[in-house]
Amino acid sequence: MSEKNPKISRRKALKAGATAAAVGAVGTAVPGKAIAGSEEDAIIAAAKKAYPKGQDLTGIMWSNYQRAVQPVRQEFAAATGIDIKKMQDISVFDIPARAMAEALSKSGEFDFFHMDSNMIPSLASAGLLEPLDAYMKKANFKLNAVGDFAKLMTYKGKTYGIPTDGNVMVQFMRKDLMEDPEERKAFADKHGKEMAWPETWEDELELYKHFYPRYHSGNLRDRGSSMAWWYMYLYSAGGFPFTDDGDPNIDNDAGEYAVETYLKYKEVSHAEAPGWGTPQMIPRIVGGNVFACQYWDGIIALAENPNKSKTTGKWAYGQIPGSRHSGKLLKRSVSTPVVSLLVNKHSPRKEAMAYLAMYTATGKNSDIVTGDRVNTFHDPWHVDAFKDGSLSQTAYTPNGVQGINDCLQVTCPALFVTGLLEFETELKRNLSEAYTGGKSAKAVNKDTTDAWARAARRIGKRRLREEIATYKSLMPTRDVPA
Amino acid sequence: MAMTKSQRQLNFSIFRYLVLTFWLFIVAFPIFWMVGTSFKPDIEWFAWPPVYITENGTLQNYLVVWADASEYSESVHTQSLQRPWEALGNSTLISLISTTLAVLFGSVLAYGVSRYQILSEGRMFQLLMLRMVPPIVLIAPISIWYRALDLLDSVPGLVMLYFITTLPYAVWMSKSFIDEVPREMEQAAEILGASKWQTIWEVVLPLVRSGLVATFLFILILTWSEYLMALLLSKTNVVTLPIELSKYQGSTEGRVYGRQAALSVGITLPLILVGIIIRKHLVRGFSFGMVRR
Amino acid sequence: MSTTDASGIPASASPGNKRQVTREQGIRRFKWTVLTPLILLMAFLLLPAFLLQGYFSFFAFSIFDAGDSSGFSSYFKASEWVGLDLWKDAFSDTKFFNAILRSLLFSAGTTVCCFVLGFGLALLMYRPFRGQGFYYVFFILPMLTVPIVIAYTGEMILYQNGPLNDILSRITGQRVMFQFLYAKEVALTTIMFLETWNWTPFSFIIMMAGLASLPKEPQEAAQILGASKLRIFWEVQVPLLRPVILLALILRFLEAMAEFPKTWGLLQGGPGSATETIPIYIFLNAWQYFDISYGAVLSYIVMFLMIFIIMGAIWLLRREKKNLDDMYQAPNQEG
Repeated sequence: MSEKNPKISRRKALKAGATAAAVGAVGTAVPGKAIAGSEEDAIIAAAKKAYPKGQDLTGIMWSNYQRAVQPVRQEFAAATGIDIKKMQDISVFDIPARAMAEALSKSGEFDFFHMDSNMIPSLASAGLLEPLDAYMKKANFKLNAVGDFAKLMTYKGKTYGIPTDGNVMVQFMRKDLMEDPEERKAFADKHGKEMAWPETWEDELELYKHFYPRYHSGNLRDRGSSMAWWYMYLYSAGGFPFTDDGDPNIDNDAGEYAVETYLKYKEVSHAEAPGWGTPQMIPRIVGGNVFACQYWDGIIALAENPNKSKTTGKWAYGQIPGSRHSGKLLKRSVSTPVVSLLVNKHSPRKEAMAYLAMYTATGKNSDIVTGDRVNTFHDPWHVDAFKDGSLSQTAYTPNGVQGINDCLQVTCPALFVTGLLEFETELKRNLSEAYTGGKSAKAVNKDTTDAWARAARRIGKRRLREEIATYKSLMPTRDVPA
Repeated sequence: MAMTKSQRQLNFSIFRYLVLTFWLFIVAFPIFWMVGTSFKPDIEWFAWPPVYITENGTLQNYLVVWADASEYSESVHTQSLQRPWEALGNSTLISLISTTLAVLFGSVLAYGVSRYQILSEGRMFQLLMLRMVPPIVLIAPISIWYRALDLLDSVPGLVMLYFITTLPYAVWMSKSFIDEVPREMEQAAEILGASKWQTIWEVVLPLVRSGLVATFLFILILTWSEYLMALLLSKTNVVTLPIELSKYQGSTEGRVYGRQAALSVGITLPLILVGIIIRKHLVRGFSFGMVRR
Repeated sequence: MSTTDASGIPASASPGNKRQVTREQGIRRFKWTVLTPLILLMAFLLLPAFLLQGYFSFFAFSIFDAGDSSGFSSYFKASEWVGLDLWKDAFSDTKFFNAILRSLLFSAGTTVCCFVLGFGLALLMYRPFRGQGFYYVFFILPMLTVPIVIAYTGEMILYQNGPLNDILSRITGQRVMFQFLYAKEVALTTIMFLETWNWTPFSFIIMMAGLASLPKEPQEAAQILGASKLRIFWEVQVPLLRPVILLALILRFLEAMAEFPKTWGLLQGGPGSATETIPIYIFLNAWQYFDISYGAVLSYIVMFLMIFIIMGAIWLLRREKKNLDDMYQAPNQEG
């Protein structure tokens, strides 16, 4: 019950805000002048100026993401008449391929794609995306994101995306199990040391083994999204997937470490893990079958929601483990997908979509989206969401926010280059062959290198060289969180 | 002697019922499971041990899927994510149009082949290639070509492809029926001055009506279930039922077996009804003239 | 009986010839009225696709060079002549080679299983008995089930805590936790099982038709000569059924080569590459990597392979059909 009150007052506040905004927009329609009032007002004013009659929009968005954006979207519709009328609902992991198909057919049927921002290089190269800078200027809007999230929205100096979901991988540990005296004693008797927060992947595996098979690992190992873990293993071993020259750089020591670590978790994973994606794993995590995992931060809000979770209050959140493989302790989290609204260049309604996208990304509205306690797929990314008293802070618990903050300091992007889809699909295929069959880590890296080299040739080395410089600049500078 | 013979017959009869009943179980179980799951409440979808016959039967799955009694009614959610009625409309429209065209055109062509050999036997067999080359090998250039013609995500686009890939079956099946119609009737009609088209419409086709119905419904099965072309050539306007169902793959938190099953039942039911109605004709239709009476 | 035109009567040569000519003209006009739309449709729909496919197999198209323009010509601007490079790639592509082998195995395996089961059931059922209609209705149901529905229902039944493992557990008395879907060695077999379930009715129906149409005389003759049932089956019935058997096998094999919805809906080619058949592999290249040109080359190779197989099948079918026509002395057709 206590949870309902803020929701109602939030809605009331929103309504009041929108009315004020509509009135304000009429009153301040003086061109060239900075508009008094909030950033929301400025966006609404620009939208009404461009589309006095409103506009219906169509796009692709996963249903899990739709609900949390709903209140903000409806406010914008009430104020401007611009609204999304048709949405295609497919999994966020399938949207990249669908968007590429749109790039192939260059049709203007969809106005937006809500998807992984790591696809921006590929889709911008393929001529599908509209740069948003001009519209942002008109609405006097700036992306105010923590970490490098704003940079992830750009390609060759232009902004192509508006984030709604700022994903970072955070360590989840069942603290009730870690603190259980019997468990502690059993662990200490066997290993000659106390149970402690894991510093490295090897430490974590040792803990998992203690609890397996009563509890299994919550890390994904399917052919869909399990790449995120491979990134963490590779980066923390000091590896980087490409050389500066655009050649694959994984058939080496760090690459082998990454794959071997990926495979080692088979011992403590559920037998059906190769077929489980997020839809199957999340119920296991919040249902109490999982002892620990690295997972997208949004699930904190779900795990701490007593209506949806059996494990509320039982979790501790913090730094992800790292590796000493490179000679020093490196911790590397990963932010993939950073889900954002991308606008279709071929759409005749693109400007309207740009304003709607911006409207979801203001400090106040973004906090409403990422602070939703039931529909928890949008994770905080806006600076305001990390301020005390924000809705996001409440939903994610102080401990959760601490964990997010820590991991944000060492988070890395996925492959931020053109051709993400084929690079990742090839690697996934090989990883999956190794995980379900007898393929060795060496063979994984060799086969992946061959396939990547071929893809790199097709994409063009010159293009890749340029992109890799940008990609490298997005890597964190600290070894471990402060 | 007579004793042993009837004994043998009895043994055979028992053996037959045993084998057939075993196969009946294998055939019926998946369908039973699909229908059963569609009536189960969510806690029974993954229960261990599995629930075979639910004691808490509910229509909720059907209501959510087909009547949009949204489980999220508490939230401000206004749009239905699943649009099964629209998909049902699309599926019905596309499969009916393409099947009608294929059968009408196919039977006229089959008449021409049967009576005047307007296609040689070799060409008739080559016609089968339209069906037998897997559609995946041409779908990419077709989508580019369709884009140029603005036929992507349109009813005519899918109808043309369904027509051309089912035509070989339409021709072969209807030819096997037309071959059996005695010629005297047509010849009489011709003498009376009927044109070729009149002869076809008014004499021949009515005589093979039941065969054409079988052909029609067999091709309806193919177009109704088609997946690959519909997946790659449709977006939002002409989503068909199989594509609507495939959205359940990873599109929600947790597996939603009950909903999935409720939609599956809706997709399968029309075909099963159709199939049961034409079951007698299927035997004839499938033999492609390779069986003579 | 001879109500036809006066073709055989030389006396009225002049009008007869005239009518003969108009008749032939009529047939020709009819022929082209029927064939023209079909040829036009193929020229409109399939020919451009073939040409584009051919173009892309020698000119590498890169979606990343397509630029901003949305015209049809942008596809050609983004393509670059590479000659036979892609073809060479394809012929040294072991993943592709494995996909072909997997598809052949899948198709051959399911064809044989469907046929053996279908024929077996037809043999048990083609003579009337009590309950025949009841069994028949059920036995054709799998064919009426939409393939993507089979994929999803299959998942519900086959997953680790699903009813199949439960039934096996009850039969064996111990907890069976068999991995039907996510074990590399089993996944293809599982899909083959689903395909067999789906299409056994097809063979069943064809063989029912075949058995029902067998003439009684040869069997009776053989029985009088004292042949055993088994010998009658192998030496009288099976030879007579050969055309139908071939038809059932060939159509099934070719349709199985194109199987996509069940494999994709359930496993997307995984785990690893255990279920990567030809359609899946081409799908990945064309619709995940958007390597349209490589997809075109693979498609051409598959098309040649399929045409080669189909020609062989057609040769077989035509021979059988000719034998059949000779045997039954089908009425000579006009023409």
